[in-house]
Amino acid sequence: MTHQAFVQSLRQIVGAANVLDSDVHLQLYQYDAYLEERRPDAVVFVHSTEEVSRVVKVCHDFGVPFVPRGGGTNLSGGTIPFKGGVVLEMIRMNRLLEVDVPNLRARVQPGMFNLELGNALAPLGYQYLPDPASQKAATLGGNVAENSGGPHCFKYGVTTNHVMGLTVVLSDGEIVTVGGEAPDQPGYDLTGVFVGSEGTFGVCTEVVVRIVRQAEGVKTMLAIYDSIERGSETVSAIVAAGMVPATLEMMDQLVIQAVEKSLSCGLPLDCATVLIIEVDGLKDDLEAQTEAIERLCLAHGAREVRVAKNDAERALLWAGRRGAFGAVARLTPSYLVCDGTVPRTALPEVLRKVAEVGEKYDLQIPNVFHAGDGNLHPLILFDWRDAEQKERVMKAGMEILALCVQLGGTISGEHGVGLEKMDAMRLVLSEADIRSQLKVKQAFDPSDLANPGKIFPAPLEVAHVQ
Amino acid sequence: MSSELAAFRATLAQAIGADHVLAAVESTAPYAVDGVCPPLVLRPGTQDEVALVVTACAAAGVALVPWGGGTSISVGNPPQRLDAVLSLERLDRVVEFDADNLCITVEAGLTLARLQALVAEKQEVLPLDPPNADRVTLGGLVAANLSGPSRLLHGTARDWVLGLRVVLPNGEQVRCGGRVIKNVTGYDMNKLFIRSFGTLGIITEVTLKLLPMPEARASVLGLFPALAAATSVLESVQASFLLPEAMDLLDPTAAGLLLPTLGLASPTGHLLATAFSGSLATVDRQVRDLEALVAGQGGRVLTLRDGASTQAWQAITNVLGSVPPDLLRVQIQVAVPIGRTAGMLASISARAAEQGLSAAVTAHAASGLLRAALLPAPGLPADSALEALAAATLALRDEAVALAGSLTVQAGVPAFKARVDAWGQPGSGFATMRRIKDAFDPHGLCSPGRFLGGI
Ligand SMILES: Cc1cc2nc3c(=O)[nH]c(=O)nc-3n(C[C@H](O)[C@H](O)[C@H](O)COP(=O)(O)OP(=O)(O)OC[C@H]3O[C@@H](n4cnc5c(N)ncnc54)[C@H](O)[C@@H]3O)c2cc1C
Repeated sequence: MTHQAFVQSLRQIVGAANVLDSDVHLQLYQYDAYLEERRPDAVVFVHSTEEVSRVVKVCHDFGVPFVPRGGGTNLSGGTIPFKGGVVLEMIRMNRLLEVDVPNLRARVQPGMFNLELGNALAPLGYQYLPDPASQKAATLGGNVAENSGGPHCFKYGVTTNHVMGLTVVLSDGEIVTVGGEAPDQPGYDLTGVFVGSEGTFGVCTEVVVRIVRQAEGVKTMLAIYDSIERGSETVSAIVAAGMVPATLEMMDQLVIQAVEKSLSCGLPLDCATVLIIEVDGLKDDLEAQTEAIERLCLAHGAREVRVAKNDAERALLWAGRRGAFGAVARLTPSYLVCDGTVPRTALPEVLRKVAEVGEKYDLQIPNVFHAGDGNLHPLILFDWRDAEQKERVMKAGMEILALCVQLGGTISGEHGVGLEKMDAMRLVLSEADIRSQLKVKQAFDPSDLANPGKIFPAPLEVAHVQ
Repeated sequence: MSSELAAFRATLAQAIGADHVLAAVESTAPYAVDGVCPPLVLRPGTQDEVALVVTACAAAGVALVPWGGGTSISVGNPPQRLDAVLSLERLDRVVEFDADNLCITVEAGLTLARLQALVAEKQEVLPLDPPNADRVTLGGLVAANLSGPSRLLHGTARDWVLGLRVVLPNGEQVRCGGRVIKNVTGYDMNKLFIRSFGTLGIITEVTLKLLPMPEARASVLGLFPALAAATSVLESVQASFLLPEAMDLLDPTAAGLLLPTLGLASPTGHLLATAFSGSLATVDRQVRDLEALVAGQGGRVLTLRDGASTQAWQAITNVLGSVPPDLLRVQIQVAVPIGRTAGMLASISARAAEQGLSAAVTAHAASGLLRAALLPAPGLPADSALEALAAATLALRDEAVALAGSLTVQAGVPAFKARVDAWGQPGSGFATMRRIKDAFDPHGLCSPGRFLGGI
């Protein structure tokens, strides 16, 4: 097989302009929002399910791996073509195919940005609930592949709870349609299994999502604390009081300062932490819920609680939260985002221990996270040009994940394993667990061409040879 | 008894105690699957014992059907082979109840009713409400993906299961998920076992997310002479901001079975039952809005609160259980896009009538799911009765499939199942399902042949 013959076959399918293989172009596709790099052999822009199927079939015939790529915003190396091959650029498959209000479904192409779908539904009075903070630049295909969460997932669940059906191209080119508008299709829940498979089962080319009516009312508030411990205690206290706010997000001092420097959202620079709490639903009790939460926050040591008075104030709070990663990115050349999850009540303890890890390795670790979900995002700041520092960062990151597991949690809440956390998988999974997951991989992708070399750690060396 | 079989039974007796290896017909008869009495019933007492049993069965090539509370054992095609029933009834312990984190882990044989009673002590609830909660086990609920009226607001098992422990057909024990509410550590293996109907392994432990108990609950029942009026209320609610927990629609037959319990005498009609839960303020407001909508469509209104509301929903959920018994009774479940539910309800009545059957139909009207009991006219010879039942069922299946939906047989005698496949034709994705089954159960020992396409 020659590279030329392979690329020629691809060009015949999608047209010459839609296959990139010059050095400059390939360089642009060798990285994502994680820290590793690997150059693909070709990039193919795809436009339809049929086209994807034909392209993948050619890959199959030539034995070339392929990696679907949406916005490239994933934080775990999911789109790095680890074993080379083709990057399938999904971004042109970005149409909203159908909004079916009576059946509360929308049919979407995977290259559409999460926020674009939201913007298209809003005038109709409907919404798609999962809302990763990256929603401006993350695609629905990427959301499906990572089973992404977002600030509103505490009340409403993550991507998998809202994806009802998929069209998927498997690695031999077969086009498979699973789930759809009607519930409870007979057979295994392939939709549910595909969501979160990180591009390793095949290429998603169409998504059927659940849409819901917009809430009648919403109230957003900011609780300001001088102690991060008290802030995280409040999260559990709110839930213990029987309330289910739509969001319970937390940012610490370093993050707040970074956000203020780049966005000026009016957050106090001298506090230890803030909670962004939102309640939504029917108007009738929002006032009462807001007051009850305010009282709880104050009783748990908040120095002040501000309630957004209008949409503009609310938008400002969310701009700060959604801009947090970007703002922190200005502090140092790089950062490693951890994504561990713990049972909510373990938050105060895990935050204390994360701070200790920072001290131990002499690293700055600001924190911004989905507190209601117990899903923390310590951001370990460093300079990638400093190899020694990078090594410390990796060790610290692994230690934080191990902490989460010890406290009853897991190594990834929403960012996926990708290349990043393969070595942490054994903190959570037994060899039998790993074997059982690999059986599913083999059933979807017997030839191991879909995003190979991800998620699973290398098999253990035989422990003792007789 | 062959010496091989004797040795196998001795291994089992050693593993779980001779008392829990049942072979006498009078003790195995209650575990018949589609009319076939299993030669053996095995009742392990712990998860490790389940693994021992399954390992022994795998080694001996013994085909198993797992059995929770038996409430859904009638779902599916007759097993190709049935050498033993594996009953999970002794696995009924709570492993951990972490009320502060709204999370509970239980063994698979615990019943839903016992779980609910336990979590209620901490003012919490698992918002899954299938029929027969007193007999449904959590393992069975997961394996059969059972749901009830409140799936409208709260979804199904796939939205509430955080983790599972499963004994695979080769006897290996694996964990899926965990006990945190967000988890993408590898594939979402929970989804594979939810709705797998015992064909991929034996679920031995379930970890579930819980909800705080709502402050208030109320129901508004509207009785309408015409289906169109009920549908119109349904559509108004869907277009509004209201957030009902459940909206069930019952045809006049099903409604008739309920009316005495509810204290609503004749006249008959379609019943639209709507439940609200939440703070008192929101429940009150929604009750008012809905009462006005029902009255506006000329319906009779009955509003029930708290205990009375809960009781009414128990009756509504179990209404098909109060259909008069009949040997040939068939129960079906039909799934269609949400907006097609009311139309499908009418179709079921119509197709049944065409075949001279009587039908009681109930629908989760805003979720796209219907269930119906079909009964032959009294006095019909069995053969003609089965023909009529099969004809109506197949016609309805065609209709559902044309709407991108499905029809599954929930219960029927073997002679009926011989005429009508329980699941219908497998569709797209079936080759992948087959590969999954073959990878997990290469020798076809877990509920062989009971599922879609002979899986
Ligand atoms: C600033 C910032 C904030 C973030 N906030 C959040 C957050 O709040 N919650 C959260 O969960 N994540 C968050 N993320 C992570 C990231 O945005 C999500 O993982 C997102 O879903 C990735 O979407 P994408 O289109 O960028 O996918 P990509 O990065 O392009 O791809 C991600 C994975 O999906 C696969 N893939 C992409 N498209 C397809 C397809 N069509 N078919 C099959 N596989 C496909 C890829 O192969 C890859 O494995 C954040 C990231 C950033 C940079």
